[in-house]
Amino acid sequence: MTSVSEEAGRSLTAQQKSLAVVTDRRQVHSYRGSRCCRRKRDTRRVYINWMNRAKETEDDEVIRKRLLIDGDGAGDDRRINVLLKSFTKWCNSPGTPDEGFTQYQRMMGILAQCEFSMGKTLMVYDMNLREMENYEKIYTNIEQNITSAHDKIAECKKEIQRAKRIRKNRQEYDALAKVIQQHPDRHETLKQLEALDKELQQLSHIKENVDAKLELRKKQFHVLLSTIQELQQTLENDEKSDNDENIQGSPAQNGE
Amino acid sequence: MGPVELLHMSVFSQSFSPCGRFLAAGNNYGEIAVFSLSAALSPDATAQSQKPVLTFSAHEGPVFSLLSNDCHLLSAGSGEVSCWSWAELIKKNTKPLWTKRPNYKSSLEIPEINSMTFNSRDNSLVLAGGDNNVHILDLERGLFKSVLQGHSDYVHCVSVRGREGEILSGGEDGAVRMWDSRTGQCVHCIEVHKYESCARPQFGKWISCVTTDSDWMLCGGGPSLSLWHLRSLSPTSIFPLIGCQRQTSFYQDMILAVGDGPAVSHCLLGGEVKAQIPCSPQSLNTLQLNTNSTDYRVLTVGGSSDHIDVFTNLSYRTFSFSF
Repeated sequence: MTSVSEEAGRSLTAQQKSLAVVTDRRQVHSYRGSRCCRRKRDTRRVYINWMNRAKETEDDEVIRKRLLIDGDGAGDDRRINVLLKSFTKWCNSPGTPDEGFTQYQRMMGILAQCEFSMGKTLMVYDMNLREMENYEKIYTNIEQNITSAHDKIAECKKEIQRAKRIRKNRQEYDALAKVIQQHPDRHETLKQLEALDKELQQLSHIKENVDAKLELRKKQFHVLLSTIQELQQTLENDEKSDNDENIQGSPAQNGE
Repeated sequence: MGPVELLHMSVFSQSFSPCGRFLAAGNNYGEIAVFSLSAALSPDATAQSQKPVLTFSAHEGPVFSLLSNDCHLLSAGSGEVSCWSWAELIKKNTKPLWTKRPNYKSSLEIPEINSMTFNSRDNSLVLAGGDNNVHILDLERGLFKSVLQGHSDYVHCVSVRGREGEILSGGEDGAVRMWDSRTGQCVHCIEVHKYESCARPQFGKWISCVTTDSDWMLCGGGPSLSLWHLRSLSPTSIFPLIGCQRQTSFYQDMILAVGDGPAVSHCLLGGEVKAQIPCSPQSLNTLQLNTNSTDYRVLTVGGSSDHIDVFTNLSYRTFSFSF
Protein backbone atom coordinates (compact mmCIF):
# COMPACT_ATOMS: atom_id res chain seq x y z
CA MET A 1 0.00 0.00 0.00
CA THR A 2 2.49 2.43 1.12
CA SER A 3 4.79 1.55 -1.75
CA VAL A 4 1.99 2.33 -4.25
CA SER A 5 1.27 5.59 -2.57
CA GLU A 6 4.94 6.24 -2.33
CA GLU A 7 5.26 5.60 -6.02
CA ALA A 8 2.26 7.75 -6.74
CA GLY A 9 3.73 10.37 -4.55
CA ARG A 10 7.05 10.04 -6.30
CA SER A 11 5.45 10.23 -9.79
CA LEU A 12 3.57 13.31 -8.81
CA THR A 13 6.56 14.91 -7.26
CA ALA A 14 8.28 15.74 -10.56
CA GLN A 15 5.33 17.72 -11.86
CA GLN A 16 4.42 19.04 -8.47
CA LYS A 17 7.94 20.27 -8.03
CA SER A 18 7.79 22.75 -10.84
CA LEU A 19 4.38 23.95 -9.71
CA ALA A 20 5.51 24.00 -6.14
CA VAL A 21 8.41 26.18 -7.14
CA VAL A 22 6.04 28.70 -8.62
CA THR A 23 3.54 28.52 -5.79
CA ASP A 24 6.28 28.75 -3.23
CA ARG A 25 7.50 31.87 -4.89
CA ARG A 26 3.98 33.23 -4.95
CA GLN A 27 3.29 32.22 -1.39
CA VAL A 28 6.30 34.15 -0.35
CA HIS A 29 4.94 37.15 -2.16
CA SER A 30 1.39 36.84 -0.87
CA TYR A 31 2.51 36.67 2.70
CA ARG A 32 3.42 40.28 2.33
CA GLY A 33 -0.28 41.21 1.98
CA SER A 34 -2.40 42.89 -0.71
CA ARG A 35 -0.25 45.95 -1.13
CA CYS A 36 2.10 43.65 -2.88
CA CYS A 37 -0.67 42.72 -5.34
CA ARG A 38 0.18 45.58 -7.58
CA ARG A 39 3.82 44.67 -7.54
CA LYS A 40 2.74 41.09 -8.19
CA ARG A 41 0.77 42.17 -11.21
CA ASP A 42 3.59 44.29 -12.47
CA THR A 43 6.04 41.44 -12.11
CA ARG A 44 3.50 39.27 -13.83
CA ARG A 45 3.25 41.67 -16.74
CA VAL A 46 7.00 41.90 -17.04
CA TYR A 47 7.19 38.15 -16.91
CA ILE A 48 4.55 37.79 -19.61
CA ASN A 49 6.30 40.31 -21.82
CA TRP A 50 9.53 38.43 -21.38
CA MET A 51 7.66 35.32 -22.24
CA ASN A 52 6.19 36.81 -25.36
CA ARG A 53 9.61 37.66 -26.50
CA ALA A 54 11.01 34.23 -25.65
CA LYS A 55 9.98 31.05 -27.36
CA GLU A 56 6.87 29.45 -25.84
CA THR A 57 7.45 26.01 -24.41
CA GLU A 58 5.04 23.76 -22.54
CA ASP A 59 6.19 24.85 -19.17
CA ASP A 60 6.07 28.49 -20.13
CA GLU A 61 2.57 28.08 -21.39
CA VAL A 62 1.45 26.49 -18.19
CA ILE A 63 3.13 29.10 -16.06
CA ARG A 64 1.63 31.87 -18.16
CA LYS A 65 -1.84 30.45 -17.85
CA ARG A 66 -1.52 30.06 -14.11
CA LEU A 67 -0.32 33.63 -13.83
CA LEU A 68 -3.15 34.94 -15.96
CA ILE A 69 -5.84 33.05 -14.09
CA ASP A 70 -4.72 34.42 -10.80
CA GLY A 71 -7.14 37.32 -10.85
CA ASP A 72 -9.86 36.08 -8.62
CA GLY A 73 -8.82 36.78 -5.07
CA ALA A 74 -5.45 36.14 -3.48
CA GLY A 75 -6.27 32.92 -1.75
CA ASP A 76 -8.09 30.51 -4.03
CA ASP A 77 -5.32 29.20 -6.16
CA ARG A 78 -3.07 29.08 -3.21
CA ARG A 79 -5.73 27.15 -1.35
CA ILE A 80 -5.93 24.54 -4.06
CA ASN A 81 -2.18 24.18 -4.07
CA VAL A 82 -2.12 23.92 -0.28
CA LEU A 83 -4.79 21.28 -0.55
CA LEU A 84 -2.82 19.27 -3.05
CA LYS A 85 0.32 19.55 -1.02
CA SER A 86 -1.41 18.59 2.18
CA PHE A 87 -3.11 15.72 0.37
CA THR A 88 0.16 14.31 -0.82
CA LYS A 89 1.64 14.90 2.61
CA TRP A 90 -1.30 13.21 4.19
CA CYS A 91 -1.00 10.27 1.81
CA ASN A 92 2.62 9.87 2.66
CA SER A 93 2.41 10.72 6.32
CA PRO A 94 3.28 8.03 8.77
CA GLY A 95 1.62 9.75 11.69
CA THR A 96 -1.11 8.57 14.05
CA PRO A 97 -4.62 7.90 12.75
CA ASP A 98 -5.89 10.73 14.91
CA GLU A 99 -3.53 13.23 13.34
CA GLY A 100 -4.39 11.69 10.02
CA PHE A 101 -8.05 12.20 10.79
CA THR A 102 -7.58 15.82 11.84
CA GLN A 103 -5.52 16.39 8.75
CA TYR A 104 -8.31 14.82 6.73
CA GLN A 105 -10.88 17.08 8.41
CA ARG A 106 -8.72 20.08 7.66
CA MET A 107 -8.45 19.05 4.02
CA MET A 108 -12.21 18.59 3.78
CA GLY A 109 -12.63 22.03 5.25
CA ILE A 110 -10.29 23.56 2.71
CA LEU A 111 -12.11 21.65 -0.05
CA ALA A 112 -15.43 22.97 1.19
CA GLN A 113 -14.01 26.49 1.14
CA CYS A 114 -12.82 25.99 -2.43
CA GLU A 115 -16.20 24.67 -3.46
CA PHE A 116 -17.91 27.56 -1.77
CA SER A 117 -15.80 30.11 -3.58
CA MET A 118 -16.32 28.27 -6.85
CA GLY A 119 -20.07 28.34 -6.27
CA LYS A 120 -19.89 32.04 -5.50
CA THR A 121 -18.07 32.84 -8.71
CA LEU A 122 -20.52 30.73 -10.69
CA MET A 123 -23.41 32.70 -9.20
CA VAL A 124 -21.66 35.97 -9.91
CA TYR A 125 -21.20 34.82 -13.49
CA ASP A 126 -24.92 33.97 -13.74
CA MET A 127 -25.80 37.30 -12.26
CA ASN A 128 -23.60 39.10 -14.76
CA LEU A 129 -25.24 37.24 -17.62
CA ARG A 130 -28.69 38.15 -16.38
CA GLU A 131 -27.64 41.77 -15.83
CA MET A 132 -26.39 41.84 -19.41
CA GLU A 133 -29.73 40.52 -20.62
CA ASN A 134 -31.50 43.09 -18.54
CA TYR A 135 -29.40 45.87 -19.97
CA GLU A 136 -29.98 44.57 -23.48
CA LYS A 137 -33.71 44.68 -22.84
CA ILE A 138 -33.52 48.20 -21.46
CA TYR A 139 -31.39 49.22 -24.41
CA THR A 140 -33.86 47.92 -27.00
CA ASN A 141 -36.70 49.48 -25.01
CA ILE A 142 -35.01 52.87 -25.06
CA GLU A 143 -34.29 52.56 -28.76
CA GLN A 144 -37.93 51.82 -29.42
CA ASN A 145 -38.92 54.79 -27.31
CA ILE A 146 -36.56 57.01 -29.26
CA THR A 147 -37.95 55.93 -32.61
CA SER A 148 -41.52 56.32 -31.40
CA ALA A 149 -40.67 59.77 -30.04
CA HIS A 150 -39.21 60.68 -33.42
CA ASP A 151 -42.39 59.50 -35.10
CA LYS A 152 -44.50 61.47 -32.66
CA ILE A 153 -42.44 64.57 -33.31
CA ALA A 154 -42.98 64.21 -37.06
CA GLU A 155 -46.70 63.69 -36.48
CA CYS A 156 -46.90 66.76 -34.27
CA LYS A 157 -45.07 68.83 -36.84
CA LYS A 158 -47.59 67.79 -39.46
CA GLU A 159 -50.38 68.62 -37.04
CA ILE A 160 -48.90 72.07 -36.50
CA GLN A 161 -48.77 72.70 -40.23
CA ARG A 162 -52.38 71.62 -40.57
CA ALA A 163 -53.44 73.76 -37.65
CA LYS A 164 -51.64 76.78 -39.10
CA ARG A 165 -53.40 76.29 -42.42
CA ILE A 166 -56.70 75.99 -40.65
CA ARG A 167 -56.02 79.13 -38.66
CA LYS A 168 -55.07 80.98 -41.82
CA ASN A 169 -58.29 79.90 -43.51
CA ARG A 170 -60.34 80.92 -40.48
CA GLN A 171 -58.73 84.31 -40.43
CA GLU A 172 -59.41 84.76 -44.11
CA TYR A 173 -63.06 83.85 -43.54
CA ASP A 174 -63.24 86.32 -40.68
CA ALA A 175 -61.73 89.09 -42.75
CA LEU A 176 -64.18 88.47 -45.58
CA ALA A 177 -67.05 88.18 -43.13
CA LYS A 178 -66.20 91.59 -41.72
CA VAL A 179 -66.42 93.10 -45.17
CA ILE A 180 -69.64 91.27 -45.93
CA GLN A 181 -71.25 92.39 -42.69
CA GLN A 182 -70.84 95.96 -43.79
CA HIS A 183 -73.20 95.37 -46.68
CA PRO A 184 -76.98 95.24 -45.88
CA ASP A 185 -78.95 92.03 -45.71
CA ARG A 186 -80.05 90.45 -48.97
CA HIS A 187 -83.68 89.82 -47.84
CA GLU A 188 -84.19 93.44 -46.92
CA THR A 189 -82.72 94.62 -50.16
CA LEU A 190 -84.96 92.24 -52.07
CA LYS A 191 -88.01 93.42 -50.17
CA GLN A 192 -87.10 97.01 -50.85
CA LEU A 193 -86.67 96.16 -54.48
CA GLU A 194 -90.10 94.51 -54.59
CA ALA A 195 -91.77 97.47 -52.93
CA LEU A 196 -90.06 99.81 -55.38
CA ASP A 197 -91.19 97.61 -58.26
CA LYS A 198 -94.78 97.74 -57.12
CA GLU A 199 -94.66 101.48 -56.74
CA LEU A 200 -93.19 101.76 -60.19
CA GLN A 201 -95.98 99.64 -61.64
CA GLN A 202 -98.64 101.67 -59.91
CA LEU A 203 -97.21 104.89 -61.10
CA SER A 204 -96.98 103.63 -64.66
CA HIS A 205 -100.65 102.58 -64.47
CA ILE A 206 -101.63 106.02 -63.33
CA LYS A 207 -99.54 107.54 -66.06
CA GLU A 208 -101.29 105.41 -68.69
CA ASN A 209 -104.69 106.39 -67.38
CA VAL A 210 -103.84 110.04 -67.40
CA ASP A 211 -102.45 109.77 -70.92
CA ALA A 212 -105.59 108.06 -72.18
CA LYS A 213 -107.79 110.75 -70.61
CA LEU A 214 -105.65 113.43 -72.14
CA GLU A 215 -106.03 111.87 -75.57
CA LEU A 216 -109.78 111.62 -75.19
CA ARG A 217 -110.16 115.23 -74.13
CA LYS A 218 -107.88 116.31 -76.96
CA LYS A 219 -110.06 114.50 -79.43
CA GLN A 220 -113.26 115.91 -77.95
CA PHE A 221 -111.92 119.41 -78.03
CA HIS A 222 -110.76 118.85 -81.55
CA VAL A 223 -114.24 117.74 -82.56
CA LEU A 224 -115.80 120.72 -80.82
CA LEU A 225 -113.43 123.20 -82.31
CA SER A 226 -113.75 121.82 -85.81
CA THR A 227 -117.57 121.92 -85.55
CA ILE A 228 -117.43 125.53 -84.40
CA GLN A 229 -115.10 126.40 -87.22
CA GLU A 230 -117.37 124.76 -89.77
CA LEU A 231 -120.36 126.59 -88.39
CA GLN A 232 -118.43 129.82 -88.60
CA GLN A 233 -117.52 129.08 -92.17
CA THR A 234 -121.12 128.24 -93.05
CA LEU A 235 -122.35 131.43 -91.40
CA GLU A 236 -119.74 133.49 -93.24
CA ASN A 237 -120.61 131.81 -96.47
CA ASP A 238 -124.28 132.50 -95.90
CA GLU A 239 -123.56 136.17 -95.16
CA LYS A 240 -121.42 136.40 -98.21
CA SER A 241 -124.01 134.85 -100.46
CA ASP A 242 -126.73 137.11 -98.97
CA ASN A 243 -124.57 140.14 -99.70
CA ASP A 244 -123.91 138.94 -103.25
CA GLU A 245 -127.66 138.45 -103.86
CA ASN A 246 -128.41 141.94 -102.56
CA ILE A 247 -125.80 143.56 -104.87
CA GLN A 248 -127.08 141.57 -107.90
CA GLY A 249 -130.70 142.40 -107.13
CA SER A 250 -130.23 146.23 -107.03
CA PRO A 251 -128.38 146.60 -110.40
CA ALA A 252 -131.12 144.53 -112.03
CA GLN A 253 -133.70 146.86 -110.56
CA ASN A 254 -131.71 149.86 -111.67
CA GLY A 255 -131.39 148.47 -115.16
CA GLU A 256 -135.19 148.09 -115.72
CA MET B 1 -14.39 99.59 -47.84
CA GLY B 2 -13.54 102.20 -45.30
CA PRO B 3 -15.52 102.72 -42.12
CA VAL B 4 -17.31 105.74 -43.58
CA GLU B 5 -18.56 103.70 -46.50
CA LEU B 6 -19.67 100.94 -44.19
CA LEU B 7 -21.56 103.48 -42.11
CA HIS B 8 -23.45 104.76 -45.12
CA MET B 9 -24.18 101.39 -46.63
CA SER B 10 -27.75 100.23 -47.20
CA VAL B 11 -28.71 96.74 -48.21
CA PHE B 12 -31.48 96.90 -50.77
CA SER B 13 -31.99 93.36 -51.89
CA GLN B 14 -31.28 89.76 -51.01
CA SER B 15 -31.67 86.38 -52.62
CA PHE B 16 -30.96 82.81 -51.59
CA SER B 17 -29.19 80.36 -53.84
CA PRO B 18 -31.21 77.47 -55.29
CA CYS B 19 -29.41 74.99 -53.03
CA GLY B 20 -30.23 77.16 -50.05
CA ARG B 21 -26.68 77.34 -48.76
CA PHE B 22 -25.70 80.81 -49.91
CA LEU B 23 -27.17 84.28 -49.59
CA ALA B 24 -26.51 87.05 -52.07
CA ALA B 25 -27.07 90.64 -50.95
CA GLY B 26 -26.90 93.84 -52.96
CA ASN B 27 -26.09 97.22 -51.52
CA ASN B 28 -26.24 100.82 -52.57
CA TYR B 29 -22.66 100.88 -53.87
CA GLY B 30 -23.51 98.44 -56.62
CA GLU B 31 -21.81 95.50 -54.97
CA ILE B 32 -23.13 92.03 -54.44
CA ALA B 33 -21.78 89.96 -51.56
CA VAL B 34 -22.25 86.22 -51.29
CA PHE B 35 -22.42 84.81 -47.76
CA SER B 36 -22.21 81.13 -46.87
CA LEU B 37 -25.12 80.06 -44.68
CA SER B 38 -23.82 76.55 -44.22
CA ALA B 39 -20.54 77.82 -42.78
CA ALA B 40 -22.21 80.35 -40.51
CA LEU B 41 -24.77 77.89 -39.16
CA SER B 42 -22.38 75.00 -38.65
CA PRO B 43 -21.32 74.14 -35.08
CA ASP B 44 -17.75 75.32 -35.63
CA ALA B 45 -18.57 78.76 -37.01
CA THR B 46 -16.16 81.59 -36.31
CA ALA B 47 -16.43 85.35 -36.65
CA GLN B 48 -14.87 84.96 -40.11
CA SER B 49 -17.82 82.92 -41.32
CA GLN B 50 -20.06 85.97 -40.90
CA LYS B 51 -18.10 87.81 -43.55
CA PRO B 52 -18.87 87.32 -47.21
CA VAL B 53 -17.13 84.58 -49.15
CA LEU B 54 -17.20 86.74 -52.27
CA THR B 55 -17.82 90.45 -52.90
CA PHE B 56 -17.87 91.90 -56.38
CA SER B 57 -19.05 94.99 -58.11
CA ALA B 58 -22.11 94.27 -60.19
CA HIS B 59 -23.56 97.58 -61.33
CA GLU B 60 -22.67 101.20 -61.37
CA GLY B 61 -25.62 102.26 -59.34
CA PRO B 62 -27.31 100.56 -56.38
CA VAL B 63 -28.49 97.00 -56.77
CA PHE B 64 -32.18 97.42 -56.11
CA SER B 65 -33.35 93.93 -56.79
CA LEU B 66 -31.97 90.39 -56.73
CA LEU B 67 -33.79 87.27 -57.85
CA SER B 68 -32.80 83.61 -58.14
CA ASN B 69 -34.15 80.80 -60.16
CA ASP B 70 -32.91 77.25 -60.56
CA CYS B 71 -29.38 78.12 -61.56
CA HIS B 72 -29.14 81.85 -62.16
CA LEU B 73 -28.95 84.97 -60.09
CA LEU B 74 -30.51 88.04 -61.68
CA SER B 75 -29.60 91.48 -60.47
CA ALA B 76 -31.13 94.78 -61.42
CA GLY B 77 -29.49 98.11 -60.95
CA SER B 78 -29.73 101.45 -62.61
CA GLY B 79 -31.32 100.61 -65.91
CA GLU B 80 -29.94 97.18 -66.65
CA VAL B 81 -30.46 93.56 -65.71
CA SER B 82 -27.50 91.22 -65.35
CA CYS B 83 -27.57 87.48 -65.05
CA TRP B 84 -24.96 85.48 -63.12
CA SER B 85 -24.62 81.75 -62.75
CA TRP B 86 -24.73 80.49 -59.18
CA ALA B 87 -22.33 77.69 -59.92
CA GLU B 88 -19.80 80.18 -61.22
CA LEU B 89 -20.32 82.52 -58.28
CA ILE B 90 -19.67 79.71 -55.83
CA LYS B 91 -16.41 79.10 -57.65
CA LYS B 92 -15.69 82.84 -57.29
CA ASN B 93 -15.93 83.60 -60.99
CA THR B 94 -17.71 86.95 -61.27
CA LYS B 95 -18.29 87.29 -64.98
CA PRO B 96 -21.96 87.90 -65.81
CA LEU B 97 -23.69 85.65 -68.31
CA TRP B 98 -25.57 88.49 -69.94
CA THR B 99 -26.61 92.09 -69.33
CA LYS B 100 -29.70 93.53 -70.93
CA ARG B 101 -31.32 96.90 -70.96
CA PRO B 102 -34.99 97.51 -71.64
CA ASN B 103 -35.93 99.93 -74.41
CA TYR B 104 -36.21 103.27 -72.79
CA LYS B 105 -37.78 106.10 -74.67
CA SER B 106 -35.46 108.83 -73.52
CA SER B 107 -31.76 108.16 -73.70
CA LEU B 108 -30.78 111.11 -71.53
CA GLU B 109 -31.89 109.78 -68.19
CA ILE B 110 -31.50 106.10 -67.49
CA PRO B 111 -34.34 105.03 -65.23
CA GLU B 112 -33.62 102.46 -62.55
CA ILE B 113 -35.25 99.07 -62.20
CA ASN B 114 -36.88 98.95 -58.81
CA SER B 115 -38.07 95.40 -58.61
CA MET B 116 -38.25 92.12 -60.52
CA THR B 117 -40.30 88.99 -60.32
CA PHE B 118 -40.74 85.81 -62.32
CA ASN B 119 -43.89 84.96 -64.20
CA SER B 120 -43.59 81.21 -64.36
CA ARG B 121 -46.57 80.78 -66.66
CA ASP B 122 -44.73 81.96 -69.69
CA ASN B 123 -41.18 81.94 -68.33
CA SER B 124 -40.74 85.67 -68.34
CA LEU B 125 -39.26 88.28 -66.07
CA VAL B 126 -41.37 91.26 -65.03
CA LEU B 127 -39.43 94.45 -64.31
CA ALA B 128 -40.70 97.49 -62.50
CA GLY B 129 -39.09 100.42 -64.19
CA GLY B 130 -38.49 103.96 -63.16
CA ASP B 131 -39.90 105.19 -66.44
CA ASN B 132 -43.48 104.54 -65.24
CA ASN B 133 -43.67 101.29 -67.19
CA VAL B 134 -43.57 97.61 -66.44
CA HIS B 135 -41.26 95.78 -68.83
CA ILE B 136 -41.57 92.10 -69.57
CA LEU B 137 -38.47 90.15 -70.66
CA ASP B 138 -38.92 86.74 -72.24
CA LEU B 139 -36.28 84.54 -70.65
CA GLU B 140 -36.40 81.90 -73.39
CA ARG B 141 -35.51 84.23 -76.22
CA GLY B 142 -33.86 87.01 -74.24
CA LEU B 143 -35.93 89.76 -75.81
CA PHE B 144 -38.19 92.32 -74.25
CA LYS B 145 -41.69 91.15 -75.05
CA SER B 146 -43.91 93.98 -74.03
CA VAL B 147 -44.29 97.15 -72.05
CA LEU B 148 -47.25 97.78 -69.78
CA GLN B 149 -48.04 101.43 -69.63
CA GLY B 150 -50.49 103.02 -67.35
CA HIS B 151 -48.79 104.33 -64.28
CA SER B 152 -48.23 108.02 -64.08
CA ASP B 153 -45.19 107.84 -61.85
CA TYR B 154 -42.47 105.32 -61.32
CA VAL B 155 -43.33 101.75 -60.48
CA HIS B 156 -41.98 100.56 -57.14
CA CYS B 157 -42.87 96.92 -56.96
CA VAL B 158 -44.33 94.07 -58.95
CA SER B 159 -45.88 90.78 -58.04
CA VAL B 160 -47.44 87.95 -59.97
CA ARG B 161 -50.71 86.15 -59.29
CA GLY B 162 -49.84 82.64 -60.32
CA ARG B 163 -53.27 81.15 -60.73
CA GLU B 164 -54.86 83.86 -62.80
CA GLY B 165 -51.77 84.93 -64.67
CA GLU B 166 -52.04 88.54 -63.63
CA ILE B 167 -49.30 91.00 -62.84
CA LEU B 168 -49.78 93.46 -60.00
CA SER B 169 -47.76 96.63 -59.88
CA GLY B 170 -47.64 99.33 -57.28
CA GLY B 171 -46.31 102.77 -57.98
CA GLU B 172 -45.48 106.16 -56.68
CA ASP B 173 -48.78 107.48 -57.97
CA GLY B 174 -50.64 105.49 -55.35
CA ALA B 175 -52.29 103.08 -57.76
CA VAL B 176 -52.07 99.32 -57.71
CA ARG B 177 -52.72 98.12 -61.23
CA MET B 178 -53.60 94.63 -62.30
CA TRP B 179 -52.51 93.60 -65.76
CA ASP B 180 -53.43 90.55 -67.75
CA SER B 181 -50.12 88.96 -68.70
CA ARG B 182 -51.28 87.69 -72.07
CA THR B 183 -52.98 90.73 -73.52
CA GLY B 184 -51.09 93.37 -71.58
CA GLN B 185 -54.27 95.26 -70.70
CA CYS B 186 -54.83 96.87 -67.35
CA VAL B 187 -57.67 94.91 -65.84
CA HIS B 188 -58.15 96.78 -62.58
CA CYS B 189 -56.76 99.84 -60.95
CA ILE B 190 -57.07 100.36 -57.21
CA GLU B 191 -56.24 103.74 -55.76
CA VAL B 192 -55.43 102.76 -52.23
CA HIS B 193 -55.20 106.27 -50.87
CA LYS B 194 -58.82 106.90 -51.79
CA TYR B 195 -60.06 104.44 -49.21
CA GLU B 196 -60.47 106.29 -45.95
CA SER B 197 -59.55 103.39 -43.73
CA CYS B 198 -56.16 102.87 -45.35
CA ALA B 199 -55.13 106.38 -46.27
CA ARG B 200 -52.48 108.20 -44.30
CA PRO B 201 -52.15 111.61 -45.87
CA GLN B 202 -49.23 112.50 -43.66
CA PHE B 203 -47.09 109.93 -45.45
CA GLY B 204 -48.38 110.32 -48.95
CA LYS B 205 -50.05 108.05 -51.43
CA TRP B 206 -47.15 105.99 -52.76
CA ILE B 207 -47.22 102.23 -52.68
CA SER B 208 -43.88 100.61 -51.97
CA CYS B 209 -44.75 96.97 -51.46
CA VAL B 210 -47.17 94.66 -53.16
CA THR B 211 -47.33 90.97 -52.50
CA THR B 212 -49.97 88.49 -53.40
CA ASP B 213 -51.25 85.09 -52.47
CA SER B 214 -53.47 84.66 -55.52
CA ASP B 215 -56.63 85.41 -53.55
CA TRP B 216 -55.30 88.06 -51.23
CA MET B 217 -53.01 90.98 -51.66
CA LEU B 218 -50.96 92.97 -49.22
CA CYS B 219 -49.99 96.49 -50.10
CA GLY B 220 -48.50 99.28 -48.14
CA GLY B 221 -46.24 102.28 -48.23
CA GLY B 222 -47.66 105.71 -47.65
CA PRO B 223 -51.09 104.31 -46.79
CA SER B 224 -51.21 101.75 -44.00
CA LEU B 225 -50.38 98.16 -44.74
CA SER B 226 -53.64 96.56 -45.73
CA LEU B 227 -54.88 93.15 -46.75
CA TRP B 228 -57.15 93.12 -49.79
CA HIS B 229 -59.43 90.46 -51.09
CA LEU B 230 -58.75 90.45 -54.79
CA ARG B 231 -61.99 88.99 -56.08
CA SER B 232 -64.07 91.66 -54.46
CA LEU B 233 -61.32 94.34 -54.56
CA SER B 234 -62.10 95.42 -51.05
CA PRO B 235 -59.76 96.03 -48.11
CA THR B 236 -60.43 93.50 -45.37
CA SER B 237 -57.86 94.32 -42.69
CA ILE B 238 -55.74 97.32 -41.91
CA PHE B 239 -52.60 96.78 -39.86
CA PRO B 240 -51.86 99.42 -37.25
CA LEU B 241 -48.14 99.67 -37.93
CA ILE B 242 -46.37 102.96 -37.46
CA GLY B 243 -44.11 103.84 -40.33
CA CYS B 244 -44.12 102.83 -43.95
CA GLN B 245 -43.66 99.20 -44.82
CA ARG B 246 -41.17 98.41 -47.54
CA GLN B 247 -41.48 94.67 -47.92
CA THR B 248 -44.03 92.16 -46.78
CA SER B 249 -44.60 88.49 -47.25
CA PHE B 250 -47.08 85.78 -46.40
CA TYR B 251 -45.64 83.03 -44.22
CA GLN B 252 -47.78 80.07 -43.12
CA ASP B 253 -50.59 81.74 -41.22
CA MET B 254 -48.80 85.00 -40.56
CA ILE B 255 -47.76 88.13 -42.33
CA LEU B 256 -44.20 89.40 -41.95
CA ALA B 257 -43.55 93.05 -42.67
CA VAL B 258 -40.46 95.24 -42.58
CA GLY B 259 -40.10 98.95 -43.08
CA ASP B 260 -39.38 102.01 -41.01
CA GLY B 261 -38.38 101.15 -37.54
CA PRO B 262 -35.85 98.59 -36.34
CA ALA B 263 -38.24 95.69 -36.07
CA VAL B 264 -39.77 92.85 -38.03
CA SER B 265 -43.52 92.87 -37.49
CA HIS B 266 -45.45 89.63 -37.28
CA CYS B 267 -49.13 90.17 -37.95
CA LEU B 268 -52.14 87.94 -38.17
CA LEU B 269 -54.54 88.01 -41.08
CA GLY B 270 -57.21 89.45 -38.86
CA GLY B 271 -55.39 92.72 -38.52
CA GLU B 272 -53.65 92.48 -35.18
CA VAL B 273 -49.92 92.81 -34.74
CA LYS B 274 -48.74 89.73 -32.93
CA ALA B 275 -45.11 90.63 -32.31
CA GLN B 276 -42.38 93.06 -33.25
CA ILE B 277 -38.94 91.52 -33.18
CA PRO B 278 -36.08 94.01 -32.84
CA CYS B 279 -33.14 93.95 -35.25
CA SER B 280 -29.92 95.80 -35.62
CA PRO B 281 -30.44 98.07 -38.64
CA GLN B 282 -32.40 101.22 -37.91
CA SER B 283 -34.79 100.72 -40.77
CA LEU B 284 -35.26 97.70 -42.95
CA ASN B 285 -35.53 97.42 -46.69
CA THR B 286 -35.67 93.77 -47.51
CA LEU B 287 -36.92 90.52 -46.04
CA GLN B 288 -36.28 87.05 -47.38
CA LEU B 289 -37.20 83.56 -46.24
CA ASN B 290 -35.06 80.62 -47.26
CA THR B 291 -37.51 78.14 -48.70
CA ASN B 292 -34.95 76.36 -50.86
CA SER B 293 -33.40 74.26 -48.16
CA THR B 294 -34.81 72.31 -45.23
CA ASP B 295 -31.64 72.52 -43.18
CA TYR B 296 -31.18 76.27 -43.26
CA ARG B 297 -34.69 77.64 -42.92
CA VAL B 298 -33.82 81.16 -41.91
CA LEU B 299 -35.27 84.61 -42.29
CA THR B 300 -32.86 87.36 -43.21
CA VAL B 301 -33.49 91.09 -43.13
CA GLY B 302 -31.33 93.93 -44.35
CA GLY B 303 -31.68 97.65 -44.29
CA SER B 304 -29.86 100.85 -43.67
CA SER B 305 -26.76 99.29 -42.19
CA ASP B 306 -23.99 96.99 -43.35
CA HIS B 307 -25.36 94.19 -41.22
CA ILE B 308 -27.82 91.58 -42.38
CA ASP B 309 -29.68 89.97 -39.49
CA VAL B 310 -30.32 86.24 -39.62
CA PHE B 311 -33.19 84.66 -37.69
CA THR B 312 -33.09 80.87 -37.31
CA ASN B 313 -36.15 80.99 -35.09
CA LEU B 314 -38.58 83.69 -36.08
CA SER B 315 -38.76 85.02 -32.56
CA TYR B 316 -35.25 86.27 -32.09
CA ARG B 317 -32.20 87.39 -33.98
CA THR B 318 -29.46 84.78 -34.01
CA PHE B 319 -26.51 86.57 -35.58
CA SER B 320 -25.66 89.06 -38.29
CA PHE B 321 -23.72 88.88 -41.48
CA SER B 322 -21.70 91.97 -42.25
CA PHE B 323 -20.24 93.26 -45.48
